[in-house]
Amino acid sequence: MNAIQTTDLTKRYGDVVALDGVSLSVEAGTTFGLLGTNGAGKSTLFRMLVGHLTPDSGNVTVGGRDVTDAGHELREAVGYVPEDAGFPPALTGREVLDYQARIRGVPRAERADRVAAALGTVGLDDAADRRVGGYSNGMNRRLALASALLARPTLLLLDEPTAGLDPLGVAEFHRILERLREEADLTVVITTHVLAEVEALCDDVAVLHQGNLRFSGAVDDLREMGESGDLEPAFRSLIADAEGREPRATPEVQR
Amino acid sequence: MTDSESPETDGGVADETAVRLPTRGRDGSALQQVGTVTRLEYALSIRNRWAFALTGLFASLAVLVVALGGQGGVVRSDAVVVSLVELSALLLPLVALVYGYDAIVGNDEAGWLGVLFALPVPRSRVVVGTYVGRLAVFAGAVVAGFGIGGLWLASTGRLTAAYLGLVGAAVLGGGAFLALSLLVSTLAAEKTHALGGTLLLWVWLALVHDLVSVGLIAADVVGPDWLPVFVLANPVTVFRVLALQAVPTVTGGMADVLVGSGLTTPVLVGALVVWIVSPVWLSSRLVARRSV
Repeated sequence: MNAIQTTDLTKRYGDVVALDGVSLSVEAGTTFGLLGTNGAGKSTLFRMLVGHLTPDSGNVTVGGRDVTDAGHELREAVGYVPEDAGFPPALTGREVLDYQARIRGVPRAERADRVAAALGTVGLDDAADRRVGGYSNGMNRRLALASALLARPTLLLLDEPTAGLDPLGVAEFHRILERLREEADLTVVITTHVLAEVEALCDDVAVLHQGNLRFSGAVDDLREMGESGDLEPAFRSLIADAEGREPRATPEVQR
Repeated sequence: MTDSESPETDGGVADETAVRLPTRGRDGSALQQVGTVTRLEYALSIRNRWAFALTGLFASLAVLVVALGGQGGVVRSDAVVVSLVELSALLLPLVALVYGYDAIVGNDEAGWLGVLFALPVPRSRVVVGTYVGRLAVFAGAVVAGFGIGGLWLASTGRLTAAYLGLVGAAVLGGGAFLALSLLVSTLAAEKTHALGGTLLLWVWLALVHDLVSVGLIAADVVGPDWLPVFVLANPVTVFRVLALQAVPTVTGGMADVLVGSGLTTPVLVGALVVWIVSPVWLSSRLVARRSV
């Protein structure tokens, strides 16, 4: 069963084609990576998934519903972590989540428990009553994840969730995601340009380059396309094929 | 999925395999959602000390004018009101525009707007709630700040209806200037653009518009019957005329000309309400096009 289906999705910004007829599907219950260099069209596609952008042509369905018709229901049921999520520095982590719970219409009787559960899941219990202005980048990312969990989602959309984190922060974030996956059959979609993240977390992956879909399938299948069975040569080869040249190092993508 | 249907898990994640959206959106109460945004905006302005800074500024202004108006032993109430109106016509729009310019674009740059717009709340409610929250802070600061000057006047037995009218006009005028800054903030792509836009707006509204209007009439480019149109076209001028209407004698000059426009109090109040509602309504519509 597909959690997400995009069909012939196209988006242009003036003369620039951000997405060019992208069709892909994300199976429910899997972790799916959207991989690509900077400017590949990952964020454009992601913003369409959450209804922040409208495609010029083609369509996106989430849970079988067209995103353009179900924006409100989508925001009720889907947990979304924007890449540059930020919070008012004068609020505490608990206040940030309590505020979002109120907006979501969570009944007063269960609000505190729901907020505490989300904070606990991301390991922010001890810092819950500290002001967000004093949070590290990693804590901010975890608070953003906790915000998404308030929706009790069956689909989590994470836009570059570990961008700017140190290795320990990345590892902690990965551990949290793995635990979430173990606790529930959650569908997770991650945009990233970090190959190691795809290896560590994803079942399936799509590779975008200059708005075109270059690959969509299992991570293992992508790995087998490379000479040494690693993701990096396979990824380089895809990009080189797209640009009609010999494979070479692609500095925008991190191992 | 409703709350009652949501299965409990430790992590707050539903244990369904398939991705399921509710068949119909649970559209929260508009009043409740706007109220939630309003309360947060108000609380943030208290924590960020904007509320205290604004109150202190308006109180200092009122006390200074009352003190200067009382030199020689007798407080001249009308002179106090006229002086305070003229100073407020410059300061109120400037302070309101600076206070409000980052309401939308600032939250966008901070990444907070992206989080809010991912919640099941229409964008227009976020805009209206943000405005009402800031208006509450601004209006409270005007009433408290000018109220201190009023208390001083009352202690000498010279508090007049004109002074109270000034406070009311300042609240309405401040609301209009704040609404304009909200519109600029909604339209601007960056905070610096919004700041520049609001400052240009202030220069036009507070410094240039009346000079151009009266100049056009004095040069016979348009007839004097255009004066009410010019007054209504600028919320700063509407505020000045409204606040000065209750003063028996105005000091002359531009103020005398403007008060002579013949506009009644209900028309002036109605104009300021239009200057409040129109930019907020426009902002709430235009924010749907904003890319986050």
